[in-house]
Amino acid sequence: MTFKILALFLLLAPSHGFAADHLWVLKQSTLTYHVSHPLHQTDGVSHAARGKGICHEGQCDFLIAVPVKTFDSGDSNRDLHMIQVTRGAEFPMVTVRTRLPEAASTATTVKTDLEVQFAGQTAHYAQVPFELVKQGDETRISGTIPTTLTDFKIDPPSLLTLPVKNEIPVRVEMTWSPQ
Amino acid sequence: MNLKAAQFAFGVVLICLLNADPLHAQDAPATLSGTVADSSGRAVPNAKVSVKNLSSGLTTEAQTDAAGLYTVPNLAAGDYEVSATVEGVGTGAAKVTLAAGSQQTLSLTLTTAPAQREPAAPPVAPSENLPNAPSASASSSSKTEPSLEDLGFSKTETQSNAAQQALLDKRTHMLKIHQRMGLITTIPLIATVITSLNAGGKSEGTASRDLHVALGALTGDLYGITAWYAIRAPRIAGTETRGPIRFHRAMAWIHGPGMILTPILGAMAFSQKNNGEKVHGIAAAHGPVAIVTAAAFGAALLSVSLKF
Repeated sequence: MTFKILALFLLLAPSHGFAADHLWVLKQSTLTYHVSHPLHQTDGVSHAARGKGICHEGQCDFLIAVPVKTFDSGDSNRDLHMIQVTRGAEFPMVTVRTRLPEAASTATTVKTDLEVQFAGQTAHYAQVPFELVKQGDETRISGTIPTTLTDFKIDPPSLLTLPVKNEIPVRVEMTWSPQ
Repeated sequence: MNLKAAQFAFGVVLICLLNADPLHAQDAPATLSGTVADSSGRAVPNAKVSVKNLSSGLTTEAQTDAAGLYTVPNLAAGDYEVSATVEGVGTGAAKVTLAAGSQQTLSLTLTTAPAQREPAAPPVAPSENLPNAPSASASSSSKTEPSLEDLGFSKTETQSNAAQQALLDKRTHMLKIHQRMGLITTIPLIATVITSLNAGGKSEGTASRDLHVALGALTGDLYGITAWYAIRAPRIAGTETRGPIRFHRAMAWIHGPGMILTPILGAMAFSQKNNGEKVHGIAAAHGPVAIVTAAAFGAALLSVSLKF
């Protein structure tokens, strides 16, 4: 009798696992941060981001991550300094999380809330607009995340005693494809 | 219960009530800060930011400063709706949950088009094990969130390296001093070059020559300190030297030996001049060597200051 009750319970109990409806994988990416200084305008570029989106019940959860040290501004000294000020050895990854409805993949523009973890801090950006372009199976997404140094409690780096501007917008260009 | 026991119990309760710290009964206030930007990422100054407590309905208002920053202190823990509006630029809104005593940031992007959907639920707290590594935790509203492991990053890529960070901190600290000392060295260097005009040639007086020597010696000392901080700054293994810093370093191979040779030749020229002789022999190279040295030093400075 006890065995039958147990078997019935196991049959009726909801599964603890889940089945993703489908996945998105980041195929290509270009992330570019822009730093403004009275004497310099600098862009640091990384193509090393990896990302995944898991869709379930109409909602897709995306995670994009990129190692801080992969950003290249064309000057190794400046890159090392950027890693130092952003505590890149202590917090080596930048991660971005977002959730989008599945239907968003067919839109031409989308606004989404982002959670960005960087330099040991977490910042939230609400309703950041992105443009979507369908290219066959792939979807190309581009937009700018309005990040600032104060969002991540980073002291502005300075050159010749002049600090850089607080705004460090990050231009995002990504190509996603379903898996 | 007899009367004495009842009196004792009442006394204990009274003492407890009197000793209770009313502050501890409340949550420590939270602070919300962030930036307001337009759709192109530019900071929006003087934007009105409203922070509404969704349970009490209480609204606190703030205004962004010139850098587009806002701060709202002394907020009770709870769910809030944050909105910002600027006429002609657009509106932005988001929901956020503040924990007691927390300092959270929420940045808003203003857009002219209406929002497509409700703001998402508050994001997941970061993992405590991996730095910067969010993962699907028990508090997650979904079991489908991908993790860093899903993306195939190795542990060495995601692991914190405090020793490396300390090395980078030391390097930056030393190079900052190098940079400042280099700038300071420029002042006596220029003054030395200027006073050289009256130090040699047909001038018979020693005052201007002495001033030139003193400034040259000061330049040499400051240069030595500047160079020491660059040479002693820790090297970061596996870093390939790229960009203007290569030129900056190459210039050091010119101004470094020049800074040693110039005072030696200068001392010879000074001695010849004091003996009433015309500067001759190798000492005659003092001027040209000094000019090349100063030029290389200036080029090194400019190479990391200006973008070519």
